[in-house]
Amino acid sequence: MEGQLTRQSETNWRTYRTLIIVAVFVFLVPVWARFIPGDVLHMDIVNIMVLAGVYACAVIGLNLLVGYGGQISLGHAAFFGVGAYTTAILCTRLHWFPSWLGIIAGAALAGVVGWLVGKPVLRLKGNYLAMATLGLGEIAFILFQQVKGLTGGTVGILDIPPLSVFGLKFDTDFKLFFVVWALVMVLMLLSINLVYSRVGRALRALHSSEVAADAMGVNTSRYKVQVFVLSAVFAGLGGALFAHFQKYINPESFTLALSILFITMVVVGGMGNIWGGLVGVVILTFLPSVIQALPQWIPGLPSGLSNFSNYELVLYGLLLIGFMIFLPKGVAYGLARAGGFTEMRARHLRDRIKARKIESH
Amino acid sequence: MSTNDSRQVRLLWGSVAVVAAIVVATLIDKGSIGLQLILSGLTVGSIYALVAMGFSVIYSTTRVINFAQGGFSMLGGMLMYTFSVQAHLPPWLGLILAVAIVTAFGAGFERAAINPLKDKSVITIIIITIGLSIFMTAVAKWIWGTDPVKIAAFTGEKPLRFLGASLVPQSLWVFGFTLLAVVLVFAFFNRTLLGKGMRAAADNPDAASLVGVSSSTSSLVAWTLAAGLGAAAGVVIAPINFAQYSAGTTLGLKGFSAAVLGGLGSAPGAVVGGLVLGVLETITASYLPSGYKDAVAFLILILVLLVRPQGLLGKPESVKV
Amino acid sequence: MAPDTILEIKEVTRLFGGLAALKDVSFTVERGKIKAMIGPNGAGKTTMFDVLTGILRPTSGDVFLKGESVVGRRPDQITERGMIRTFQTVRLFEGMTALENVMVGCHCRMESGFVSNSLRLPSARREEALLREEAMAALKDVGLHTRANEIGTNLPYGQQRLLELARALASKPDILLLDEPAAGLNQYETGELSSLLLDFRGKGLTILIVEHDMGLVMQMSDEIVVLDYGEVIASGTPEVVQNDPRVIEAYLGIEA
Repeated sequence: MEGQLTRQSETNWRTYRTLIIVAVFVFLVPVWARFIPGDVLHMDIVNIMVLAGVYACAVIGLNLLVGYGGQISLGHAAFFGVGAYTTAILCTRLHWFPSWLGIIAGAALAGVVGWLVGKPVLRLKGNYLAMATLGLGEIAFILFQQVKGLTGGTVGILDIPPLSVFGLKFDTDFKLFFVVWALVMVLMLLSINLVYSRVGRALRALHSSEVAADAMGVNTSRYKVQVFVLSAVFAGLGGALFAHFQKYINPESFTLALSILFITMVVVGGMGNIWGGLVGVVILTFLPSVIQALPQWIPGLPSGLSNFSNYELVLYGLLLIGFMIFLPKGVAYGLARAGGFTEMRARHLRDRIKARKIESH
Repeated sequence: MSTNDSRQVRLLWGSVAVVAAIVVATLIDKGSIGLQLILSGLTVGSIYALVAMGFSVIYSTTRVINFAQGGFSMLGGMLMYTFSVQAHLPPWLGLILAVAIVTAFGAGFERAAINPLKDKSVITIIIITIGLSIFMTAVAKWIWGTDPVKIAAFTGEKPLRFLGASLVPQSLWVFGFTLLAVVLVFAFFNRTLLGKGMRAAADNPDAASLVGVSSSTSSLVAWTLAAGLGAAAGVVIAPINFAQYSAGTTLGLKGFSAAVLGGLGSAPGAVVGGLVLGVLETITASYLPSGYKDAVAFLILILVLLVRPQGLLGKPESVKV
Repeated sequence: MAPDTILEIKEVTRLFGGLAALKDVSFTVERGKIKAMIGPNGAGKTTMFDVLTGILRPTSGDVFLKGESVVGRRPDQITERGMIRTFQTVRLFEGMTALENVMVGCHCRMESGFVSNSLRLPSARREEALLREEAMAALKDVGLHTRANEIGTNLPYGQQRLLELARALASKPDILLLDEPAAGLNQYETGELSSLLLDFRGKGLTILIVEHDMGLVMQMSDEIVVLDYGEVIASGTPEVVQNDPRVIEAYLGIEA
């Protein structure tokens, strides 16, 4: 039974099927969000979903790097920022510059930066790699602040035009929601394909034992850099979308806190699980809103706690610690086990029915 | 000696020479202002050194990077404010209470969240200490609000004059405490059985437990020590730095870079790293726009990790194949 | 170098600080032969494997694989060139099935990368099917094909060893370096291992094996080279080596 739970499907079909179910579920959010009790506007949910979507781009890539490749990055907000600033600068300085091209440019430039820093830094391992990526992320933040001529300094860049593709303008949250999540589904599809392939196995092998992977013919240093670049590209894509969503950006959007948020989403969601990134993104993007809305749903909560921006962060820190203690493998793993148990029971039931049928003959 | 070793030695002396050259150049260029800069750099550097020591203590015994180390110092300072200013308790009592509370908290956290998870991956532990950092910052914001709080200096505010530069008396307290701390920590890890056992436990847990030091004990003592040291540092620093809920993160990051520069796991290294970082930072701020000052810490961090991960005074970690 | 020599080790020395783990070691391995490298613990045998496979660089000396010097090459490059090793302790990949483990063994024989795999281009799909076939064949060769879908590290120890062997064989090497493959195996398993290895030799595989099980070594090897304190102290056929007084002295106390 353990084998059933833990083996990756040999064909991709089971996972594709789940992807379709997830996609349907997500795209129907504007519909079923209306049924959430309390004073919650369903359009607010759509707005939060757009943010979750752009974060998801970064987190899906990061999950490949951390969960599958076994590396660490505490500086991924930098790539998110590179993507955002690239498209913002291009679209505001050159008024003719199409935003869809800006997004591609943002993702590409993030990838280039990822390659340049990845090559030297990925020689480091574990804690050292964590520290180095943290340092790089901070340097990027300082550059965003200081290179005022390009980035607008602490003020940032305003009036970023909305996303438009071939004349179609995505200027409302609602329209952006569909575009962003369609892209997220595409990125998920690419990830699924990658994970169930030679590349995915190479990554998992190098995560498990770099020495053995090398000995088996996997060029581990090249793979580490490649998956790092991939995660940088995905993050840059998310950042560029973010710029066209918020319509203004400043360095405060790309701090260490965001890098930490990304990595937390990966870990809480479930490393090494293909859905880990998405699960983590959704949980942690909605968590603050859920905490804020709690007093509405639990009438007994004392109003002293309603000083939101304080206790919400306290709870956040506690929850982070709690997740690591009680669900170290992540939520997705917990869900998979639950799903696995249900599937196991269903199969047992089927087997018992079959056995009885045979007996009665 | 292999070529790599001699390269390392050259690097070491090379960097010492570079730092010395920068300091001398600044003194020549700026005269007595230069001396002022160096002195403030040393003061700020001592602050970094104290935080760096906390990192070193935990890292050298458990290989854990405690992202909340700066938070211990922040809480120490804030609690000192509560006890000595708000509650009007005598400073020595305030100090003891502040340190005791933070130390107990650190030890408790180690038992509740660090020890049970010692076999988990590096990234899990990193997230836990990050969670602690977030928690501590949020609690501080909740209890004390966002404004910085003022604590009286131990022996007054009147600046002392020294060769054309001035120094507040509290700086001397910081220097003195740093010196005391490094002596105590060094003595503990190199002269006591418990301390030596703890260092051994990081590399060879079985041998260490034979001497009666399990990795569990080691971890608890390390965290207790780091929390206490951090809190005491926070109290001594607070009159200069203005205690504030957000101080933990900045202190943490800078202290962290200082620890890596000096050598994670070396108490004297922490001091050297902190002082060098403080001085270089202050000098940079006088020549470049102030925003770039913070980049110094991170550039040094990355440089050290890429070129000589064990830092100036640390020992290279054996890589298990 | 003779055309039938697959591996030539020429005056390889490896120093660690002042200590010589290997000192002027030279020997060759001929195609289709099983050569055993034996010696007391600490003689430098695993260090030699590390040097041969690129994990360590020799302080001096050279290693020729099929006539080409491989010193300075990365381990994965050496595997690509036809020399692969197993490890003293089992290093299966965690969380991966037996089949997946072996498929990693085939890794160097294919080429598809990030782009073709993320898009599932036909070339990638074809390679994947081929990989699966070859991996299954390797599993069959060691008799593990019935357990293809089980997590590798869940298998009993003896079968884990076989799985490691299958994984190495999947790369279709010219020469296989085995580091104590019989360690921890019972007599039955050791016998199975022995017949498997003789089988592979029959199919043209060259094997360099480090082993402490003298029965296995004497029974299987065509030639033996004996190391002690990093130096070659004897080499030749099993009969010659068995009777060499220096070998007996080095092994005093160990059963032959």
